[in-house]
Amino acid sequence: MKLKSSYDFYLILITTLVLFAISLISLYGMFYFKFAQIHQMAPPVKLLYMNRMNEIVAPFIICLILLLGICVPKRLLATAWLNRITAILLTCVIVTGILYGVKASLFFILAASLVLQSIVLIMALAGSRNLHFHKKGYWVRLGSSLIHLGLIIFVLDLFLYKDRTVHLVLFWITTGTSILGMLFCFYADSVVNLIAGRQPAFDEDIT
Amino acid sequence: MHSLLPIKLFSQGGGILLVVLLILSGGITVSACANLIGRKPVWQEATSALLISINLFFILGFLWICWFHWQIFIKLPLELPENLSGWVNRQLEIMNSNSDYGMPLYNPADPPRYRIPLWIENEKYYFWFMCYAVMALLVHFRLQAQRFRAVLHLFLAVQVAGLFFLVDPFNNPLPQFFGEIAPLYKAGQSLMQQAGHFMRLYPKMIYYYNAEYMWFHPPLLFISYGSITIMFITSVFMLIKRDLETEKIGYGYAKLGFFMLTLGMLLGYPWALKAWGPNWWWDPKICSSLMMWAVFSTYLHTRLYANKKYMWYFTSILGIICFLAMIFTFLTSFYFPGEHTFQ
Repeated sequence: MKLKSSYDFYLILITTLVLFAISLISLYGMFYFKFAQIHQMAPPVKLLYMNRMNEIVAPFIICLILLLGICVPKRLLATAWLNRITAILLTCVIVTGILYGVKASLFFILAASLVLQSIVLIMALAGSRNLHFHKKGYWVRLGSSLIHLGLIIFVLDLFLYKDRTVHLVLFWITTGTSILGMLFCFYADSVVNLIAGRQPAFDEDIT
Repeated sequence: MHSLLPIKLFSQGGGILLVVLLILSGGITVSACANLIGRKPVWQEATSALLISINLFFILGFLWICWFHWQIFIKLPLELPENLSGWVNRQLEIMNSNSDYGMPLYNPADPPRYRIPLWIENEKYYFWFMCYAVMALLVHFRLQAQRFRAVLHLFLAVQVAGLFFLVDPFNNPLPQFFGEIAPLYKAGQSLMQQAGHFMRLYPKMIYYYNAEYMWFHPPLLFISYGSITIMFITSVFMLIKRDLETEKIGYGYAKLGFFMLTLGMLLGYPWALKAWGPNWWWDPKICSSLMMWAVFSTYLHTRLYANKKYMWYFTSILGIICFLAMIFTFLTSFYFPGEHTFQ
């Protein structure tokens, strides 16, 4: 169990680093936009800038989704199996990236995460005891599953932005899952009282 | 404009309200300084009364703004002479045929009216600071620590002072909006001039002033800004003292802030698609918002492990960085060009 806890902890630390890197890229994008005067350029130049920024951020988004891909089975599997699954996912991402490019690699990890997260969501909905969550309580687990599913669908949505109908449908699904997820995760107490009419089953104290 | 709307009355009434708010804030500043320096808490009951009064006056001022916007809705329809409506509708039909999101045609029997949200131009600061005032009041009654309360009050006083001296929403209200629409209401214009003004004003009315997203996207972000300010104060105190109650309050507001920020940012997305088309991604404001969201997510993730050695301080520092990222994101609109710019 100690190993499991530190695994969670290091995953969070790596996620922190990736989010920090994305923040730095965003900062770079802002200053580049200003000093290259992108807003005054013709639409093809703007498009070029957007594509360039997408290319820069793509590896970090893959990392983030990959971390999520590891984070999700962590809830399902024992540490030994988790290491194996992580190795398999990582190999598949690298091989797909080399053979078919970054986009295919991102699509692969998104699809894999989507499938895994859907399984977790179903298990969380069924109240399965086999899921390993840092926090306890039915609604918190359900909320956490929904937030992570929302993030995966959001990136998938950005990936498919050229198909307008699918794009907007996926966007509203993302919004719905994220809102519900945050409500369940952050306000489990109130949700419990509102829906089930019973006392909250968890304590959010960090002690 | 002064002949069409009670602008003078609005400015005078609002001016009085702001003066009262400033005096009350002066009182709370004195009390905050005394509590910050002194060893024992002083004037706690008087401070509570002052804080409640500040909130009441903030709400009164907000209702005053609501009334003024209602006056704009009633008294400033975007009206055209009847013989122009046919020509304008033909132009709108041509514009709609090339666009995914069309504009409604002009109806002379029911001309379009401005439904201006309550948080544009300087009013956004008023709403933002009012949200903070409400939160400060709630936190004030939850945590009795004298120095924590003092800092909470000082932040409020600084915001009220800023509102009075720098971004007064009552004195010369909505200058940009009135500057835009004034030419339409000038007397003695030719028909083509009127049509030209209408065609310039109508799209902005539809996609900006009357946009339904305008009622969700900005206020959710301002509520989030208020929450982040509370989170910042708690984070600073967490660095000084390992107090669980302070952390609990900070986390409560962090959750509210993150919820509002995420929802607000998400609801800006379909609006941006509608108003600007697809080419706005990687706009400086979007970049800085993404950065802020990423920092905020990091804070919430690390908070899960705040009981670990050093993580308590790391979480606190992240809370402070999150506040700085919020200030930076807000100031982005002044310094960086792009779709969100105030330049």
